[in-house]
Amino acid sequence: MTVFKTFLQVLKKNKFIVIMYTVILLIFGNFSMQSNQSSTNFEASKPTVFIVNEDKEEGITKDFIKYIKEKCDMAEIENSKEAIDDALFYEDLSLAVYIPQDFGKDFMEGKKPEITIKKRDSYYGSLAEMLLQRYIKVATIYQKNIKNEDELVAKINETISKDIETEVTTKIDTSALTKAARYYNFSSYSFLACLIYIISLIISTFNEEKVQKRTTISSYNYKKFNRILLLGNSLYAFVLWILYVVMSFVFVGPTMASINGLLFIANSFIFVICATTLAFFIANFVKNKDSINGIVNVIGLGSSFLCGAFIPQEWLPETVKIIGHVFPTYYFITGNETIAKLEKFNIDTLMPVIVNAGIVIAFSVVFVILTNLVTKKRRKV
Amino acid sequence: MFLHNFKYSLKTLFKNKMLIFWTFAFPIILGTFFNMAFADVINKEKLSIIDIAIIDNEDYQNNKIFKTAFESLSDENSEDQMFNTKLLDEEKAKEMLNKEEIVGYLKMQGNDPKLVFQKNGVNQTIFKYVVEEIVQRSSIVENISKDEIKKQIEQGNFAVDAESIVKRVINETSNTEIEFENTANKNLNYMMIEFYTLIAMTCLYGGILGMVAINQTLPNMSNKGKRVAVAPTKKGTIILSSLLAGYVAQLLGLVILFAYTIFALKVDYGEHTGLVILLAMIGSLTGLSMGVAVGTLSKKSEGAKSGILIAITMTGCFFAGMMGVTLKYVIDKGMPIINKINPANMITDGFYSLYYYNTLDRFWFNVASLGVLCVVLITISFLSLRRQKYDSI
Repeated sequence: MTVFKTFLQVLKKNKFIVIMYTVILLIFGNFSMQSNQSSTNFEASKPTVFIVNEDKEEGITKDFIKYIKEKCDMAEIENSKEAIDDALFYEDLSLAVYIPQDFGKDFMEGKKPEITIKKRDSYYGSLAEMLLQRYIKVATIYQKNIKNEDELVAKINETISKDIETEVTTKIDTSALTKAARYYNFSSYSFLACLIYIISLIISTFNEEKVQKRTTISSYNYKKFNRILLLGNSLYAFVLWILYVVMSFVFVGPTMASINGLLFIANSFIFVICATTLAFFIANFVKNKDSINGIVNVIGLGSSFLCGAFIPQEWLPETVKIIGHVFPTYYFITGNETIAKLEKFNIDTLMPVIVNAGIVIAFSVVFVILTNLVTKKRRKV
Repeated sequence: MFLHNFKYSLKTLFKNKMLIFWTFAFPIILGTFFNMAFADVINKEKLSIIDIAIIDNEDYQNNKIFKTAFESLSDENSEDQMFNTKLLDEEKAKEMLNKEEIVGYLKMQGNDPKLVFQKNGVNQTIFKYVVEEIVQRSSIVENISKDEIKKQIEQGNFAVDAESIVKRVINETSNTEIEFENTANKNLNYMMIEFYTLIAMTCLYGGILGMVAINQTLPNMSNKGKRVAVAPTKKGTIILSSLLAGYVAQLLGLVILFAYTIFALKVDYGEHTGLVILLAMIGSLTGLSMGVAVGTLSKKSEGAKSGILIAITMTGCFFAGMMGVTLKYVIDKGMPIINKINPANMITDGFYSLYYYNTLDRFWFNVASLGVLCVVLITISFLSLRRQKYDSI
């Protein structure tokens, strides 16, 4: 009980870091949940557009704006140069369109008034530009023959409203599952950082020379001592894991209760075991407390950046992906990505998930063996 | 005395392994991670060629409009190539769709096209958009030609050459190209923010140097401090020279980091080199004064003090966009007050305004904020340091 009490005391002392990382995950989780409506029917991706209209909102100008609002999402920013520029830089906006004064009048007179835009060279930017071009192109062609504004607007609408039959084969809610995958991918950073930091801190407190000498000469069985310590740390890891799982239900919603969701939870449990053993291994390595911070940051941030915890794995360059293979995080995240795409559940489809989880477990075993080797060597002093 | 203490402070600082790690090694390690992870992000966002399939049935082969359109859009020799198109039977197409080797396929049923996708997405939307465009173009040609023929008949011309009218209309429609002028700044690489947060982090980690330097002069913090306190030298001289040593060490770290990011990682800091240096210098000064403030105000151990500094810096960098650039924008837009008082963001935002903005207002605002923060922190430290005397300790 003494050991466990001391353990709790050290933990209490460091509540700040635990709370900080938890809050970071909360905030991030919240942001990655914002966009995307869920749907299994075809839904066109909508670029985000901002309209600066200097013309009167009537006739063709009015219809043009109506068309943009229909095909695109409207950015919720203020109408100032700085707000537009910032939004464009941070991809809150794919395109800003500037409709000049007297646009409608000039257009009907066949003067080809010039519309300027600000856009990013991205998928959404290009898509938004295409959508605008379509309207203006159709309007320009018809304008040569139709001089009446109302008739022109009617004709344009008749043409651009032609829709085609579209079928989407997937029956799962992909966007919610992608959200869940992102949430759990990011959690790998929090788990690693929290566990390595806290466990190293606790173990190094117990490993301080004077403290260690006192424990060694006491009548306390060292095996029991280690067992209680391990139990305490696992308990902490377990509480941390429960917290994140509960939060995932809050953020992702009912999808977490599906089979895919349960797989995410199971997969993260295996990862937490691995992170705990890794933390143990590191903790037994660390001699001075000052270096803990450095190790946490290098291992936590390093594996997160190289394995795809912060940005999707598919965006990483090939060489980085190969380097990522040395971290357990890589297999955890690959497992999550696979789960997000699972539709049918049988041995064949689940195999990749099982294999990845297996590799994570293998990592844990290796870490346990390494820890034993290190401590055994140390005890021989 | 000033030079003497400066020299030895510098020596002790460089012998401290923890300091060397945080000021020199860690930013470079992190920068390397950034570079590896983000190398491809911006390129992968650009529109690339989309893999699609078309069901090779009679309806498609007979439909000249669709056939020619997709042939030209899939032409590998053309600059405007949009699709990589495969002609397949439906079963094979379904199989490829399931494996996500294609984003979707087109099936002609009579004259009506049908699209099949596995899921929603931008590429799918673009594919659909192109098919719609083809349908609409034929509808335009039909409409205008009809009107034209009607008009000619109304005018009494009964020998209408329908074919030439249609040809002319087709020509007219395909020659109408709409181009918009794009006035956006070309510096739109938001991954640069990551590297700016890195510089900000290094500036603020300099606080550890300041804190260690000040700790060595505080009698209640170290034995060295006790000796310094009883020595017949002016306290001000000792403190100033120690801090200057910290500042010099910090600037050296920054020079190395700048050289590494500019030459090895190809980070773009914009065109105002002088202002970049100014910002880095005032940023480090802020870091230093933060370290001095923590060093004088907190009575905890050196390890705990550096823990506090690291926690402040990392939290600041997190809000400034280090773990995801979007966060900086969301905070700037939704809760601007957090980033207005966040030194990591002041530095990051300063670099951002030099890189992206044509005007310097925002840059000077950030520099001024850093200056104010510096003065506040130094005043607080000064007030708590002055007249500190011990009869016994």
